[in-house]
Amino acid sequence: MKWMLPIFLTVAAFGADPPPVSIRVEPKEASLRGSGASQQLLVIGTYADGGERDLTGETVWKLSDPVLAAMEPGGRLVARTNGAVIATAAAAGRTAVATLHIQAVEAVREFQFSRDIGGILTQKGCNGSGCHGTVKGRGGFKLSPGGRTPKDDYEWIVKGGGYQVLTAEVKGPRTPRIDGKEPPKSLILQKATGSIAHGGGRRFAIGSAEYQAILQWVAAGAPYGPEEGRENRVTALEVFPRVVTLERNQEHRLLITARFADGRTEDFSGQALCAVNDQSVATVSGCTVKAGRLGETSVLVRAAGLAASATVGVIGPPLAAYSDPPRSNFIDGFVFDKLRRLRIPPSSLSSDQEFLRRICLDLTGTLPPPERTRQFLASDDPAKRGNLIETLMSTPEFVDYWTYRFDDLFRVGVFPNGINVKWSQMYAEWVRDSIASNKPYDQMARERIAAQGYDGPTRHYLPYDVIGPAGETMAEEMRVFFGRRLDCAQCHNHPYEAWSQDQFWGLAAFFGRVSKMGDTGAEYVVFDHPTNEAMGNGDVNGSIKLFHPRTKAELKPALLDGTVLQGSDRENPRKALADWMVKHPYFAEAAVNRMWSNFFGRGLVDPVDDFRSTNPSTHPELLDRLAADFREHGHDLRHLIRTIVSSRTYQLTGRPLEGNRDDRTNYSHAMPRALDAEVILDAIGTVTGVPETFTTGVADTPKATGQAPAGTRAIALRQPDLFYSRFLDIYGRPNRLTLPERSGKANLNEALHMLAGAAYQDKLAAPEGILRRLWNEGRTNDEVIEQFYLAAYSRFPEMAESKAIRDLIASNGNREEALRDFVWALLCSREFSENH
Amino acid sequence: MGVKPMQEGSCRRDFLKAGSLGFLGIHLSQFLRAAAATPAKGKAQSCILLWLEGGPSQVDTWDPKPNSAFKPISTNVPGIQISELLPNTAKRMDKLSIVRSMHTMGSDHPQGTHYAITGHEVNPAMHFPSLGSIISKEMGPRNGVPAHVLVPQWEKSRQYEEYFRSGFLGPEVDPMAIPDPSKDGFQVPDLSLPKSVSLPAVENRKAFLKVVDNHYRAAYEGVEHANMDGFTAQAWKMLLNPAVQNAFDLSKEPDKLKERYGKDAFGQSTLLARRLVESGTRFVTAAGFHSNSWDTHAKNDEGHRDRLCPVLDRTLPALLDDLEARGLLESTVVLAMGEFGRTPFVNPDLGRDHWPTCWSLALGGGGIKGGRVVGSSDETGARITSRAISMGDVFATIYKAFGIDWTKEYDTPIGRPIKIANSLEDTTGEPIAELS
Repeated sequence: MKWMLPIFLTVAAFGADPPPVSIRVEPKEASLRGSGASQQLLVIGTYADGGERDLTGETVWKLSDPVLAAMEPGGRLVARTNGAVIATAAAAGRTAVATLHIQAVEAVREFQFSRDIGGILTQKGCNGSGCHGTVKGRGGFKLSPGGRTPKDDYEWIVKGGGYQVLTAEVKGPRTPRIDGKEPPKSLILQKATGSIAHGGGRRFAIGSAEYQAILQWVAAGAPYGPEEGRENRVTALEVFPRVVTLERNQEHRLLITARFADGRTEDFSGQALCAVNDQSVATVSGCTVKAGRLGETSVLVRAAGLAASATVGVIGPPLAAYSDPPRSNFIDGFVFDKLRRLRIPPSSLSSDQEFLRRICLDLTGTLPPPERTRQFLASDDPAKRGNLIETLMSTPEFVDYWTYRFDDLFRVGVFPNGINVKWSQMYAEWVRDSIASNKPYDQMARERIAAQGYDGPTRHYLPYDVIGPAGETMAEEMRVFFGRRLDCAQCHNHPYEAWSQDQFWGLAAFFGRVSKMGDTGAEYVVFDHPTNEAMGNGDVNGSIKLFHPRTKAELKPALLDGTVLQGSDRENPRKALADWMVKHPYFAEAAVNRMWSNFFGRGLVDPVDDFRSTNPSTHPELLDRLAADFREHGHDLRHLIRTIVSSRTYQLTGRPLEGNRDDRTNYSHAMPRALDAEVILDAIGTVTGVPETFTTGVADTPKATGQAPAGTRAIALRQPDLFYSRFLDIYGRPNRLTLPERSGKANLNEALHMLAGAAYQDKLAAPEGILRRLWNEGRTNDEVIEQFYLAAYSRFPEMAESKAIRDLIASNGNREEALRDFVWALLCSREFSENH
Repeated sequence: MGVKPMQEGSCRRDFLKAGSLGFLGIHLSQFLRAAAATPAKGKAQSCILLWLEGGPSQVDTWDPKPNSAFKPISTNVPGIQISELLPNTAKRMDKLSIVRSMHTMGSDHPQGTHYAITGHEVNPAMHFPSLGSIISKEMGPRNGVPAHVLVPQWEKSRQYEEYFRSGFLGPEVDPMAIPDPSKDGFQVPDLSLPKSVSLPAVENRKAFLKVVDNHYRAAYEGVEHANMDGFTAQAWKMLLNPAVQNAFDLSKEPDKLKERYGKDAFGQSTLLARRLVESGTRFVTAAGFHSNSWDTHAKNDEGHRDRLCPVLDRTLPALLDDLEARGLLESTVVLAMGEFGRTPFVNPDLGRDHWPTCWSLALGGGGIKGGRVVGSSDETGARITSRAISMGDVFATIYKAFGIDWTKEYDTPIGRPIKIANSLEDTTGEPIAELS
């Protein structure tokens, strides 16, 4: 709240606005079809600082031919007669025009259930995910969320229904929600108007437009209207603008446009439900957003069974001197342009010491050795950062580190499952080879998705010594390679997204014939079993078919759009799936987003594997461009990494400015990130000179005890679950039984371990450690302090720091204990435990 | 003047609100819940789960039947009979009630364990919180001791331990998992200062930490710094708090009592559970029966007679007596169960296999009535004949004992509402009326 006061002051002082540089009308051109068609027009002013403002409210309109159309207050143009009309807007001393083509005003649009009734249910929130739109509905009445499946909704309203997750059959009596004999007694009207008790309260009044529409529809016999076809099926919802920036108390209208299957567009601003996530930042009334406090939030728009979103940023007054930093590559263009629009100043470039530590940790998971730090800091070569990036990318540690990152994602592990360890090792080797040879990522994906036989990637089809369920395997591939979570749709249509249960099972069917052969009990050949042929496999008796859990229909492999791809019985269906997946736009966008999060602690879409229309990207254009660049460069992971770390955005300092302190999503300064369990354990080993010893212990097989080769680092443990480590568990090493999520969140066990745990205490006391060595060599306190600062922080101590530490050492009667306490403190500090 | 960040996770949750009853300012489920009974203040303050890993045979324990090799015996409650393998427990039947009509999901150990301890089936898209984590969250810690403890931890596998954790609730209510207290040299790791660190050294270390971290903290703002500081402060308090050290210090228990509980892993874990509960811990899982001890696929009768029931029948009565003697039974729920029951028939290895269809558990204390039998099974203990009880009903009964609203739902990070007492077919569990 500390920033509230200055803002009020500056707003008061702000007063007279400079005029816009230009104004324009959105849309510039549009077609209006049918009787009563209308189009909302927005007038947008562009200002010298690049900002835009909605001037519609202060616009004076003039039409080229008032016979053709009428302009309503607020900028809505209503069609009257066929022809082209030019609307001229005058605002803030400037003018701009738009051309509207009016066609077929004589044609009356036919009633359509989804639009005319479904639209009301959406706008009034009846089919929201918290009300009747939940998986099982509410109060015995179920609607599809946002009216996505109008056929089902029609059935429920007109005939009634009952919902079971696992079956499509309806048990028990059906209660229609309409009353054809006495339409006003229809349940849907009585509930919605609160005439009888309704958990959701009153949604509209008796006699309101919504009431009348439903009443007339019931009285007319409750028709469904024409089936959905090219001309009346909405395929996409577009919001203009995608990013809205407002100063406090300013307003901005949103333009909601529906795109039909036949390519036609229509203004849906009048029939959409807009909702703001954070109502302290902005509120919405109709389709007009009003700014609240400073911040950023999103507006979610629902109409015609679809959802879309826009981002709203509420910004402070213009900054007197906004200095644009130099741009290293296209990333900076997108990031800095948005920062400028939001009036958030970017921090300066990181110092060399900051950059060195950050890039070493991010590219290799390893702290730079003190000698290397000295060299780098002393060098005045202007190209030293770029050179360091190249050097690091050619180290063995780079391969170790990225192998470990992808091991996590691909869930390389042994698990208590009875499968031969060798097979898991092959899988680990496949990942390592892929990283070491910089295999194109699309090829990696293909190899995994379509894996057959006994090789590395086939291993992941067996969570234990059986083939994993098709649905789960498919959902995991989608989450890994598409960044989408389809899991919910396994049991029911996804509640917040357009994923249907049919889509889920269509995709799952690609994995429906995955099977294994071999009876060693530990190693198997993975193949796609033919449907109608016995292969002499004990597990499969010729009936390897997959059925839809609700409809019980036999499933055929189908892509997201419903295209059935059924090849011959002897083909591997996953090959076609893999080909389709790696070319799909989702593939590259998910890959670059995931990669981005490795360097910034969050994805452009975050969580990285939760792409949804209701979870918008902070920088949609940047995401598109990164994905395009990744595709153009042959899905080259190293190219992608190089592009990201070469940007100035990545190389900004973590020190915030007064004006960007609160920014967490726009990359105005680097955000500290907790080191991963493996990385921090290795770092403690490096700084103390006492590497960790890893002892094997596979679950429930106490016989298998041994040690990892001396000096094996935590990031290089290829099957970490073979190695018991209290430290790694406490610091959040994922067990890889499901897709790993590292929280990086502080917890009590971590704090306790720091203060009293073995990893810290034993290493400090070890006779072979660096502290003991320096002690034996008779080093001065200053030398010891500098050496450890370089090792742990990759920087020299400040004068004041050295002095304070020297004083503390001197005040302790026991120098050895004091030095140990000093090193302990370094290892427990946030500066050490974080990448910044 | 920067742009205030979107709060993590708020997006989805708020969207639900916005999409439903945003303008009413309340979440629909809250609205619907308003009608539900607000539970009275409960008597229970803590719960001890005696985890009978592997799954006991109902007909050889709580629900004696002719197809058991063992005879029923009378208990100190007229009309209630249990297996002759539990004679000591039979003398204290007034303190415990039996549910003979448990019906649960998951027919193998991982799935069964997950279901029994969370009330939900395994779902790859979701990490569900365990009963202990939910109770710890609802009740909060007491007296500075850890609220949730699991003893002993599994030595090698983390799979089972995972199920007992907090799921999406977060690390604050994860159980503190500690080693087997029956082993020589038992010590709780990280809970006491290393011998090399003297008390004055603690102050020195704090002073050093302040110096070396000052530079960074002045310049950078880590979102997690304040959280970590909070945990660090709590950790120092725990390390320096004699009450915490004392709570875990089994050496303070007289040897005689240790013997009454049994000096095996189950007995000592249970004794430690009592000690912890006495100190303020909310939920302790006493999991001394590791490695699927009760999983008698072979030689079921010998196992129950020689190896399993004698241990249970020593420790459980000892716990009930001890709690009562200390006046803790009124405030401590005791729940004894495994992840499922066992088949009514015997397999060729003279064993019994997994049976989630119909099985028994025992519970009492903390205001839950003893000396009752809930539900019944057919003549072989194979099927429920009356009053099917779900895990959600058992959870609801325990929540009610604590005064926790059992109809509560938590929102997951993606906004899916999760019932804390999840019953079959996605309904909400009901407290067992006979017991509360």
